[in-house]
This record gives sequence, C-alpha cells and structure tokens, in this order.
Amino acid sequence: MSRVMARSLSRKKIVTNEGKMIGTLKNIVVDFETGQVVDLIVYPDPSFDTSGYRVEGDRLFINFEAVKDIKDYIIVDRYLSRK
Amino acid sequence: MIAMRTQITELFGLSVYTEKSLLVGEVEDVLIDIEGRKMESLVVGKLNQELVDIKNYKGLKIPFRIIRSIGDIVLIRHLPGAFKTGNFDDV
Repeated sequence: MSRVMARSLSRKKIVTNEGKMIGTLKNIVVDFETGQVVDLIVYPDPSFDTSGYRVEGDRLFINFEAVKDIKDYIIVDRYLSRK
Repeated sequence: MIAMRTQITELFGLSVYTEKSLLVGEVEDVLIDIEGRKMESLVVGKLNQELVDIKNYKGLKIPFRIIRSIGDIVLIRHLPGAFKTGNFDDV
C-alpha cells in the first residue's frame, strides 16, 4: 500500500497518464469528518488548456480519484481528472 | 470552527489533546494512503514528554480512527499506554 507525507507533495508537478503537464500542486482538500482525501488544488501551467476542468479563479481542482501514482510527479488519469 | 471540507495545510500546527484534556503535541504532517484516498494518520511532534517516551521517536503517528473531532484543536481518544509505546495496533 503506498503512502505519502502531505508536506512532501508541496509544489509537486501534476502530469496526466499521457504525459501532459497540468501544473503545480497548491494544496489538498480533505474531509475532517471522514478522513477522505477529496481534491487536489492545482495552479495550472499558463500553456495548459483548462477547458473541461473544474476551475475557480486561478486554481484548478482535480478529484483525488484520478490520482494513479505519486513518486517524483503526481500522475493523474486524463479522463478522471476532468469534471 | 473550521468547515468539514478544508485544505490539508489547515491541520499543520494544530494542538492535539486527548479527551481527558491532556496535551499530546502539535500536528507536523499528514500521512496519506493513496489507494484508499484517505488520511491514514497525523504525524505529531513537539510531544508532551510526560505522555510520550520521547527517546523512541522524532514524532508520533496518530491513526485517524482514534480522532474524535477536528476544529480549533484536534481531539483524540485518551490512550496513555499507546502514546507511551507508539503502538496503536490494538486500539
């Protein structure tokens, strides 16, 4: 089972499973009641096309469901990361 | 009072108390279970040396399941034996 320390994720790059760079991790939304990790909050790269993604101001939200793996990068599913 | 859905960084620095109002320490980090998509435990530092045998660790991992509530502080179950050894497997 893979586990990761939240602080080690600070400013990690988010990449789709097809190798497209989305942006940089800003924060993580969690539910204090259930302990569930809900969303990644990302600063998208200026060149990234955010259409189809959940965007609030300058931040983009990705459901944690989309996360496939976390090592040097955070890899997210290209389909699940939208909506 | 902090909303139920909030940013993980809001946890950092919160004081951790037991239900018997004893200070355990301060939240330094959160261990995330990636596949389970949940917070597995809180890494607690600045430990109260009367409660925790500090020679054993740099920090104490408090499993999420023993947390009662999170607001201005983190309130957890009072398990003095587990705090001393750092072993929460049996609780």
